[in-house]
Amino acid sequence: MINFSLQEANPMLAPEYIPLAILFILATALGFLVVIIGNLFGPRRPSIRKAMPYESGMRPIGVGTRRTPVRFYLTAMLFILFDVEVIFFLPWAVVFRELGLSGLIEMGLFLLILLIGFIYAWKKGALEWE
Amino acid sequence: MFVPFDSTMLLAILPEILLVVLAGVVLALDAAWQPEKRRWLGWLTVVGLAVAFILTATVSQPESEPRLLFGGMLRDDWLSFAFRLVFLFGAAITTLFAMDHEALGRKGEFYVLLLVSTLGMNLMASAGDLIMLYLAIETTSIPLYILAGFITTDDKSTEAGFKYLLFGAMTSAVMLYGFSLLYGFSGETNLYLLAGKLGELPMPALLGSLLLVLVGFSFKVSAVPFHFWAPDVYEGAPTPVAGFLSTASKAAGFAVLMRVLLAAFPAALPSWQGLIALLAVVTMTVGNLLALAQTNVKRLLAFSSIAHAGYILIGVVAVNAAGMNLGMASVVFYLIAYLLTNLAAFGAVATFGRVSGSDEMDAYKGLSRRSPALALVMLVAFLSLSGMPPFGGFIAKVFVFAAAVEANWIWLAVIGVLNSIIGLYYYLTLLKYVYLYRQDNLEEEQKPLPISRPYALALVLLVIGIILLGTAFNPWFEWSRTAAASLF
Amino acid sequence: MIPLSWYLIFAAALFSIGLFGVLARKNAVAILLGVELMLNAVNVNLVAFWRYRAPNMIAGQAFAIMIFAVAAAEVAVGLSLFISIYRRRKTVVANEIDLMKW
Repeated sequence: MINFSLQEANPMLAPEYIPLAILFILATALGFLVVIIGNLFGPRRPSIRKAMPYESGMRPIGVGTRRTPVRFYLTAMLFILFDVEVIFFLPWAVVFRELGLSGLIEMGLFLLILLIGFIYAWKKGALEWE
Repeated sequence: MFVPFDSTMLLAILPEILLVVLAGVVLALDAAWQPEKRRWLGWLTVVGLAVAFILTATVSQPESEPRLLFGGMLRDDWLSFAFRLVFLFGAAITTLFAMDHEALGRKGEFYVLLLVSTLGMNLMASAGDLIMLYLAIETTSIPLYILAGFITTDDKSTEAGFKYLLFGAMTSAVMLYGFSLLYGFSGETNLYLLAGKLGELPMPALLGSLLLVLVGFSFKVSAVPFHFWAPDVYEGAPTPVAGFLSTASKAAGFAVLMRVLLAAFPAALPSWQGLIALLAVVTMTVGNLLALAQTNVKRLLAFSSIAHAGYILIGVVAVNAAGMNLGMASVVFYLIAYLLTNLAAFGAVATFGRVSGSDEMDAYKGLSRRSPALALVMLVAFLSLSGMPPFGGFIAKVFVFAAAVEANWIWLAVIGVLNSIIGLYYYLTLLKYVYLYRQDNLEEEQKPLPISRPYALALVLLVIGIILLGTAFNPWFEWSRTAAASLF
Repeated sequence: MIPLSWYLIFAAALFSIGLFGVLARKNAVAILLGVELMLNAVNVNLVAFWRYRAPNMIAGQAFAIMIFAVAAAEVAVGLSLFISIYRRRKTVVANEIDLMKW
């Protein structure tokens, strides 16, 4: 049957992580503390101007839920696609020396295929802003 | 079983390498060429696929003993070999159908997506590892989502892509959860190593993960609880894409289903046989009954393809643990016959739809007077679909039902035969429109129905194939038998 | 030491939330979000199983990495299909996209 336990020591309980835990707790507590103190002791004089959405001190222009131009979307999608490939580089980099030349060639082929896609996107004008 | 890396392994994935190269070349040329030159991209794709087909058939034949390549990721055997040839052929025919389609023919992206999807199917047929299997299924599906929604100016096409994506993403996530459980229960991802470990598992755990995995596979083969996407997607997608979806994609789904069930779940053989038998009965019956009510030919073909998935599932049920028997061989044979037949049917619909702009049954009235050749193709395709001799569909059905009888699933074979009779009714109804009915407006009938060269080439090839399968079926069946035997 | 079953329960809960989102939400983007939750549940499962069941074989981690990459591709394709449908119909609500039904 399946063994649902692991015999090794848990690295997350190691003593060097204790300061990190303390920092985490303190940071959370401080955040709450500031909000609570401000609410208890601060003066409260609400006005219309104060209730307005904060837009770097200026009077807000237009509605908050404006449509974003679709160009942003295209750029973001290209970014995601060419960004996610890095996920394959990381493990490759870890075992780079063991894989040697054949690993390098394989990664070169991988990049070549990506490059064709990139050239295609470029030629089709996906990188032009207008 | 595992072999270390050597150069013959590259020979074993030759078709995949050629597909990647071809896709890269087409994409680069699409970016480089002027729009008026891009109509040659279609011919380039067809020629490339034909070369890949010939090279695969001659050079990259598998060795007599099945091997696990690339650390168990791929399995090199006759089954994957047979299916690869089938997919390459299907892609080439689909390209021929797409070439003169006004919205598809001059788009390099279309051919690239088609090639990448074919690559995914090839990998599906030979995947020997859960990771590879998932990757291959998604490599097949994601381009198909785009292909289904390819015509962005058409409401139905975008809707088809939308529905296909939502259904596909959901079912593949469920399937993946099943994969993760299989990995957890066994600690292995290789299908063939998994089998040994899964035998020790308690039945509920095994069946639970099997059910999750089956959700994804049922979606791919459009078996009944997960068939809802099929009619809408087939109706909305461009007709060549619908043909490709209903044949190659379905065949890839069955290749995976067979391999996973037999390689990874031999321990649960009696249980999954019962389950698949149930699935087969429901799929056939629902597909056939709903097909009766259709008035759109593409929708009719969608429900008919659901029903055919049911017939093929009968063949999957009819395996026995001993290994060598008719069941799997009949599935492979059925898939080949079905691929040729259904591609011919969708090809005829595409040819007709391109000129008349309609897929409704009413538009087919008097077709035999407008174009006797096209009417003849429809006659061959639909009679073969309904299982009439002397066409491929008849032999395929006989083998599947014989396999069921041989494996003592007689009641299943009886239900299959009854369903075939229902099927006969709606196929003949459409042929009645084509041959017997006349248009109300007789001038309509005088309009010529030109068949352009790529369509004619593809349709002639398919009709020859259907008749060959139905008459000289022996070599084909031996071939299917070899392929099926290599599964074990 | 956290037992493996905790991770599995967490992943199962995440998966169920995702599945509920897929089945109950009408907005296509929300459905896609549900699918992403399901995929992440699978990733949690895989990495937990890898750590507890087969820490010497890298397969579980490699599988999770593949799922990341594929999920990104799926979302990119999904969003572009949604945009192409939004341009024509001004909606991505699943039950308003009903041109074809039986």
